[in-house]
Amino acid sequence: MSHSDTIPLHSSSQSDIDEIENLINASVQSGPATVQPARPPSPPRIPVSSSPFLQSNLPPPTTAAAKLPPLPSSSAPPSVLPATVPGPAPPPANSAGSNNFAASGFGPAPNTLTEPVWDTVKRDLSRIVSNLKLVVFPNPFREDPGKALRDWDLWGPFFFIVFLGLVLSWSASVKKSEVFAVAFALLAAGAVILTLNVLLLGGHIIFFQSLSLLGYCLFPLDVGALICMLQDNVILKIVVVCVTLAWSSWAAYPFMSSAVNPRRKALALYPVFLMYVSVGFLIIAID
Amino acid sequence: MDFSQTPGENYANPKTCFFHVLFKAAALAFYILSALFVDSFVIIFVVTVVLAALDFWVVKNVSGRILVGLRWWNEINEDGESVWKFESLDQQSLARINKKDSWLFWWTLYLNAAAWIVLGVFSVIRFQVDYVLVIAVCLSLSIANIIGFTKCQKDAKKQIQAFATQTISSRFSSTLQSAFSVV
Repeated sequence: MSHSDTIPLHSSSQSDIDEIENLINASVQSGPATVQPARPPSPPRIPVSSSPFLQSNLPPPTTAAAKLPPLPSSSAPPSVLPATVPGPAPPPANSAGSNNFAASGFGPAPNTLTEPVWDTVKRDLSRIVSNLKLVVFPNPFREDPGKALRDWDLWGPFFFIVFLGLVLSWSASVKKSEVFAVAFALLAAGAVILTLNVLLLGGHIIFFQSLSLLGYCLFPLDVGALICMLQDNVILKIVVVCVTLAWSSWAAYPFMSSAVNPRRKALALYPVFLMYVSVGFLIIAID
Repeated sequence: MDFSQTPGENYANPKTCFFHVLFKAAALAFYILSALFVDSFVIIFVVTVVLAALDFWVVKNVSGRILVGLRWWNEINEDGESVWKFESLDQQSLARINKKDSWLFWWTLYLNAAAWIVLGVFSVIRFQVDYVLVIAVCLSLSIANIIGFTKCQKDAKKQIQAFATQTISSRFSSTLQSAFSVV
């Protein structure tokens, strides 16, 4: 009946998935993928629908089937939405999508429950680290925002926001709960509003990518807050906060500025700077 | 993911089902019971949100794959546009999925979201704004998974239909061709 069981229907649309498969499978120990007696011997997968889903202001592409209505990004989901991407995005140098693993439609099938979980965890952790390095530290990709956070994730920002809230809460001697709640809500809502600001200015960014970037740029402020928690000298605190604030702003600058019309750069960048300054004040003022 | 077991009265993947339910139940239980034991809001917030985030990850990466054969994620392509991708098993494997597994999967997703909504209503009534924050985060995580998997399933059904019509039409044309070649 299904004679094309063994033949991918649309080989072109398989290539991305094949790459992801290979990357996933390459990180798995060689055991599981070959020990699948009950599984069909070839990848019986349905062609993946890649529905171009626009969150920017670019005109909709004419490729067939925008099969999905866009997710309601306008409903502004709270920014702490760890949408982990199960596979790394296809690397820019596209390796040939030869499918050398006869697994079923999605990657390594587990023999035990823990085996693939650990690999997925390792992959996600390494993605967090690489995103952090891309955003916060000098690297050659900084001028091209499309490359910078290609495989965005929200786990990193989640950790950093919670960590900052915790550090501020620990530093406070009274009203710890309010401090934490305020810090968390401020950072989360701030990231969403800043992203909406850029979108409303006519900029071309992707909502989750921008949230991810703004979250990762909190890393220097996290470090600054930690130092300030451990030291009580006010002058030192001011110096540390200024340095980390400058670092955060420097990290966020290329992405935000290239996303908007050059005449509106300041309009997009000033609120970001303002938010980081207010977080800096929060860090200094907490005692 | 073990389709070799007979899908009968039992769950085909009990461990996966267990983990699928575990983190959801832990988050809800901790949130509800914490009022009795824990004074600090910060601890309640962090633990509940971490459990909810773990649950989100488990459902998206593990139990979605294993229990219902679906997977969804987002990529940014070369043009810098965001693309939602869905992947599903082919029709035979989908038909072989254990009914109990998929029943458990979908119902716990919906019940989890409903439970958080109910708790949210209670918090709003009591004017506890900071607890509403916790609930908002957990609820958004549940709803994200529900939306993602529902779209993935619809997409899978469309793929099956498209595949079926294409198969029928290609068979039809090949039958015609062979008929003409005989003539």
